[in-house]
Amino acid sequence: MGAFGAFVYYSGHYDYIVIKFENVTKHYNKTKALDGLDLEIHHGEFISLVGMSGAGKSTLLKLIIGEEKIDGGKILIDDIDISRVKKTDLPYLRRKIGVVFQDIKLLPKRTAFENVAFAMEVCGHRKDKIGKDVPKILDLVGLMHKKDNFPHQMSGGEKQRVAIARALAHRPVLLLADEPTGNLDEVNANEVLDLLLKINQLGTTVILATHAADLVNKIKKRVITIENGKVTIEQEKGKYKL
Amino acid sequence: MLDSISIFRIIKTGAINFWRNLWLSAAATMVMTITLVILSVLFLMFAVTNYSINTIQDKVDISVYFKNGLVEDQIMNIKKDIETDPKVRQIVYTSSEQAFQQFKDRHQNDQSITQSLNELSENPLPATINIKAYNLEDYPAISAKLQDVKYKDFISKVNFEDNRLVIERLGKILKFIVTFGLGLAIVFSIIAVLVIYNTITLTIYNRKEEVEIMRLVGATNWYIRGPFVVESLLYAISATVITSVLFLPIFSGVLPKIAMYVNPSVTVFNQNIFNFLYLVLMVFAISIILAVFSTLLAIRKYLRI
Repeated sequence: MGAFGAFVYYSGHYDYIVIKFENVTKHYNKTKALDGLDLEIHHGEFISLVGMSGAGKSTLLKLIIGEEKIDGGKILIDDIDISRVKKTDLPYLRRKIGVVFQDIKLLPKRTAFENVAFAMEVCGHRKDKIGKDVPKILDLVGLMHKKDNFPHQMSGGEKQRVAIARALAHRPVLLLADEPTGNLDEVNANEVLDLLLKINQLGTTVILATHAADLVNKIKKRVITIENGKVTIEQEKGKYKL
Repeated sequence: MLDSISIFRIIKTGAINFWRNLWLSAAATMVMTITLVILSVLFLMFAVTNYSINTIQDKVDISVYFKNGLVEDQIMNIKKDIETDPKVRQIVYTSSEQAFQQFKDRHQNDQSITQSLNELSENPLPATINIKAYNLEDYPAISAKLQDVKYKDFISKVNFEDNRLVIERLGKILKFIVTFGLGLAIVFSIIAVLVIYNTITLTIYNRKEEVEIMRLVGATNWYIRGPFVVESLLYAISATVITSVLFLPIFSGVLPKIAMYVNPSVTVFNQNIFNFLYLVLMVFAISIILAVFSTLLAIRKYLRI
């Protein structure tokens, strides 16, 4: 696990459920985004979530972080029913979950270091703790040497790795990656994927929503396919099938 | 709840927002200042007019001069008789000796008056009573009653200075100030609220990315909202400071003169209503209410949490 182990949650066994979807439905006006979805994700898993655009992948991720509310069913995260989490407590739930997006969302006027530090600052961490933790996280994503670079001075892959570092700042139980390689070329995409796999190896559960068939095939871990708001195919060590 | 380090960061971010949009901040502060100045002027005019009315009202009385050669008992009987009137608040009796003494005391430094007084063989000053009523409207009635035939042999003159016209006029001015000023103050308060609302909306828009990221990494709702409230509080504080600086010369220079003119025996700063601190606190409270109100409106509408 090395020096970075402290930043990822590791329980040593795979048999407890991090996320459970029970018959979850979600509508947007009259269109059904999720239609009676059932899903269990165990601690330490690496899930590739595939499906066509509009199949409900992003909706699923938004429900997990409490961005959207479900219309029916139940979502349990770490045994907490998130529809019962009060609005004022949502931020504390979000600290358990790291999120990475296709459009990266780094602050352009802040350096790599400051972008990661920002996540800790806004949650009330002290300066000395931030000064100690951020270098370790940047080291984990292999970007300590670029800590003073601004986003425009980095490649797409490097920026996405900074975003991953930021997502790890609170030592989340779960890392959600929504099309993180969508805007990257093959080399950069592979860099990001390798990093996600490494984080998973260190014990964090990872959910990767993606279109990229070749990436999914390379991972050889559990693949969940969503079609019309339902899980249609589940495969262990699966391949992208659509 | 928020810890001290978060509060510090919220204040810091709010101050940074204030400085980054300095021109917008200046505009918001200006409109707020104009509103506060109008409110302060209104407040002062109200206070001065009200003070004048009270002072003049206090000066209204009826002086009754008695004929010479009356025994004090006779005067006392009349005094008692008048005292039975429920409209009468106070009667002060001054005997002719007291009046003479007072006159002498008042002019003791005036050689010619003292000399001519010494030449007098008898006291020329009459005994008087001074009547004050509870209500301004009662004076004519009391005055009329004193004209009664039964007093004719005793009273030489009833002096009633009717200040009611002046008081009525002041009252009208006061009413005008209140309605016109209040209307103006409300209009400008609305403008101030709108301008601050727009400014905060722009700040929210400028910081959209930051807010989104804060939300995603788990910043609490008040940590996200806080800086916007701090920013608007800075408008309120700046506007209060500017208004106070503008009004300080009025307080130290102009107001004492007005008060001296209205009532020479009182100094302005004895009057609670003229207290500068009182005005500053009032202005500060109003500016904070306006600023926080408009910010909460903007946050409610534009800040998704």
